[in-house]
Amino acid sequence: MNLVALPVLIPLVAGASLLLFRTARARTIFATLATLLTLLTSLLIAVRSLSGEVLVVQMGGWPAPFGITLVADGLTGIMLLLSGLSGLLTVLFAGSSLQHSPRRGQSALLNRAREAFGVQALFQFLLMGVNMSFLTGDLFNLFVSFEVMLVASYGLLLLGGELAQLREGFKYVVINLVASAIFVIAAGLSYGLFGSLNMADIALRLQANGLDSRVTMVAMLLALVFTTKAAAFPLGFWLPNSYPTPPVAISAFFAAVLTKVGVYALIRAFTLMFPGELTIQTIIFTLAGITMLIGSLGAIARQRWRYLLAFTNIASIGYLLMGAFSRSESGLSAALFYLIHSVLVIFTLFLIAGLAEKISGERYRNEGHLSVYPWLGVGFFISAIALAGLPPTSGFIGKYSLVQALFSYGDALSLIVASIAVISGLLLLYAVMLIWRGFFWGESDAVHLVNLPWAMSAVVVIAVALLLSLAALGGPIFNLSERVAKQLQTNQQYLSQVLPTPGLEPETEELR
Amino acid sequence: MELLLPFLAAVLIATGVYLVLSKTMIRLIIGLSMLAYGANLSILLAGSGTELAAPPLLTVEGPYVDPLPQALILTAIVIGFGTTALLMVLAVRAYQAAGTDHVQELLDHPDLLPPEGVYADPEHPSVSPEIGPDTNNINADEGAASNGAESKAEEEKA
Repeated sequence: MNLVALPVLIPLVAGASLLLFRTARARTIFATLATLLTLLTSLLIAVRSLSGEVLVVQMGGWPAPFGITLVADGLTGIMLLLSGLSGLLTVLFAGSSLQHSPRRGQSALLNRAREAFGVQALFQFLLMGVNMSFLTGDLFNLFVSFEVMLVASYGLLLLGGELAQLREGFKYVVINLVASAIFVIAAGLSYGLFGSLNMADIALRLQANGLDSRVTMVAMLLALVFTTKAAAFPLGFWLPNSYPTPPVAISAFFAAVLTKVGVYALIRAFTLMFPGELTIQTIIFTLAGITMLIGSLGAIARQRWRYLLAFTNIASIGYLLMGAFSRSESGLSAALFYLIHSVLVIFTLFLIAGLAEKISGERYRNEGHLSVYPWLGVGFFISAIALAGLPPTSGFIGKYSLVQALFSYGDALSLIVASIAVISGLLLLYAVMLIWRGFFWGESDAVHLVNLPWAMSAVVVIAVALLLSLAALGGPIFNLSERVAKQLQTNQQYLSQVLPTPGLEPETEELR
Repeated sequence: MELLLPFLAAVLIATGVYLVLSKTMIRLIIGLSMLAYGANLSILLAGSGTELAAPPLLTVEGPYVDPLPQALILTAIVIGFGTTALLMVLAVRAYQAAGTDHVQELLDHPDLLPPEGVYADPEHPSVSPEIGPDTNNINADEGAASNGAESKAEEEKA
């Protein structure tokens, strides 16, 4: 079934063809169509994989441990759907904000000069890398897709060449190159150790041979790489200043999806390959608690829209890792629900920040916008309380089930981390209310009505509507994430679909 | 050889780490490439124990070394080459824009800019794509044209 390869192939072809178009309008239309097509194929895959199937493509017809395998199970389906949705909204927002070039030095919105240097094409390559990392079943191919994603993100981050972009971009490139070098070493070591790079094959060999200190070392290296990508404490210091520097549409996609690729890789590695490495999982669980606290405290200290939101993104990474590494199935399913919620809410908040920055600049201490832009205030309020986790939003469902899972697990560490989660939820509420009081509340004569293009506003409305529908459909979606968590706990179907004939294994003996 | 290669990999990685910790961009870049070489060498070492009876896909007599680690290294080299080139360009741009390649100075003075009309590198005056005359040639859209008109007006004022 070649459907599985399409979310990788469509952006690749589209990205290459986008370089041929000469006008911005043609590029926007073509990119929108291509992303819509990617979203549709992702939807098809998600429908089939969420109903319990595991879709597998052996690239080039080479059977599993030898060739590269693309696999789509429930988790992949969810992630593809999320990346496709936010990709489409990003392309629409970037295209609609394009008509209004900002003044010099104001990087909030994409302007024509930058767009002419290939933002749309780079974004398609970014989408290709993201989708490939969700689909691949091969460790080295995961490295390659990370690199595809990262090289595209370097381009998107740096286009424009403002000093802040150069400074933060340099840091971003360096930290990612170091992480990539470690990933290469880990991949090489795991080939030497297991004689295979196929994740399902590694999982089977580990089941047969048991754990070993060398296995722990490889798992530790991989965990180091993936937590760097996910920006968990203490490896997340590169994120809060670098994500706000590119134009809004781009930084929204970065914050919503790119860090979640790291979380996805962690979940995949530690449910499929190393479920037995309990010490590492406990370490990541503890770090998740600190990540939440750092994220929410950092958010309070920030004076500018997107800089504050970047820290709330770090906090949400903490919540995700807390659930995923809580060593219980209910925690994992809560984390999967929270994953969907957090992609949508972070994305929406960044888009709203884009509109607000267009209205009154980067800082949010500028009162009295509620009376002039009432609908923007409503949209912000909904997503803000969703971020903080107050009922009746999806954030409440996610956080409540996360904390409940931890309390029912019940050892001392879980209780401590769960209380940190509650406290940092309150801190996040304080942080978003800083924006509410600073930007929307109060009265001011100095606020003027800036004409916002209808298409940008429409994208924000769609994003808020998606967030609301997640809350409304909370029950069915939560059941879905429970099913996916159950699938991830055993991975029986994944293994048997990827490696249908275990007898075919090459004669590489046990661990050398 | 068995002892020499691990030692070499260790030296490369240690040198790389030392250079990455320094604060000059060019040293950092050299350090990163050393780190990448060390990583490649360690893949070669990790995979060099696997000896195959015959080469894959052929019917020639063995023993043959496993080609897969070398394929991995080739991929990693290509990727590393591209990213290093990008990083070099980035360092040059940062130097042109700020007049320094010292990372700490960039952090201490976030708004550091050479005075207007004076460039850090007089032979290659850098022009930001938004405001520069370059934009006129690339895109004939109204937006770019009006941008160009604005910047011309600014020049005339000056």
